[in-house]
Amino acid sequence: MSADIAPAAPSGASPEVFHELGQLTRQLHDALDKLGVSSRLAASAESLSDARGRLRYIERKTGEAADKVLTAVELAKQDGAAITAAASRLAAIGDEAGLDETKALAGLLHAHAARLDEKLTEIMLAQDFHDLTGQVVARVVALAIDLEDSLVKLLVRAAPAEPGQRGTDAALAGPVIEPAGRSDSVKDQGEVDELLASLGF
Amino acid sequence: MDLRSTEDAVNPPAQLKFLVVDDFATMRRIVRGLLREIGWTDVDEAEDGAVALHMLRNGKYDFVVSDVNMPNMTGFELLKAIRGDASLKHLPVLMVTAEARKEDILLAAQTGASGYVVKPFTKATLEEKVQRILQKLAAPA
Repeated sequence: MSADIAPAAPSGASPEVFHELGQLTRQLHDALDKLGVSSRLAASAESLSDARGRLRYIERKTGEAADKVLTAVELAKQDGAAITAAASRLAAIGDEAGLDETKALAGLLHAHAARLDEKLTEIMLAQDFHDLTGQVVARVVALAIDLEDSLVKLLVRAAPAEPGQRGTDAALAGPVIEPAGRSDSVKDQGEVDELLASLGF
Repeated sequence: MDLRSTEDAVNPPAQLKFLVVDDFATMRRIVRGLLREIGWTDVDEAEDGAVALHMLRNGKYDFVVSDVNMPNMTGFELLKAIRGDASLKHLPVLMVTAEARKEDILLAAQTGASGYVVKPFTKATLEEKVQRILQKLAAPA
């Protein structure tokens, strides 16, 4: 252990300091082992990785939702513009034929289309939540990466990782965050239906 | 249209070419949508400062709307690069960002930002800031 810590060319530090540091590291290693901290550290590191995945899932899903809304708003605005154009034509026709009621109706359509457009703009702007929350999520993900990195480093010093040992999964896992490469989950409704059909449901 | 040699660029909305810079596609789409509603339909997008700078050096743009916090090259770095480039230094740059700290706003002003809008913002705010910048540019020096 101490060999890992001693730098190649220490400047101004005495060898005793590094020897002392090496001993402290050894003691930390033994203490962590005795307390059974290693396995808990491993579990924490894994939880952090899982938490990062879940945050990215939130980021992706909110992004997709905002995207869908923006597309719908753009299409609805086109419809609104068509209503406005039709109302203008109706107003002109009413004007030519001297039909006051038609003109009034056209004016009403105009006013409603304008209000609709205003509300659609509000809906469009409200999608900025994705940018704002996404920035916060990115910061938390960066923090989780730092923490995970530190934990893994501590873990490597305390004890070698034991592959193949995983904690028991929670009773309910929630949405699948990374469906690719997973055989224990379905990735869409088609697979749900297939699975149920294969079981005779 | 070259703003630097034109004084009647403001009313009605002239056909200016915008570059919207933001790492979030949602926000680029919102800003593009708002600019279109105001009357500017010629809008390109870049996902960070580095991409934006490349586009600015290889195309003709009249106005930049940029986020601040972006990977690769931040909005402040982009702004600095624009102001340090002889062919781009007069380009209007409006910062649109969630960074609301006073020191950031001051830094933007010192670096040469033409305006600063804090997210979340309204259509009226964006329009007012863009118009104000254009009016200043169009006014005789």
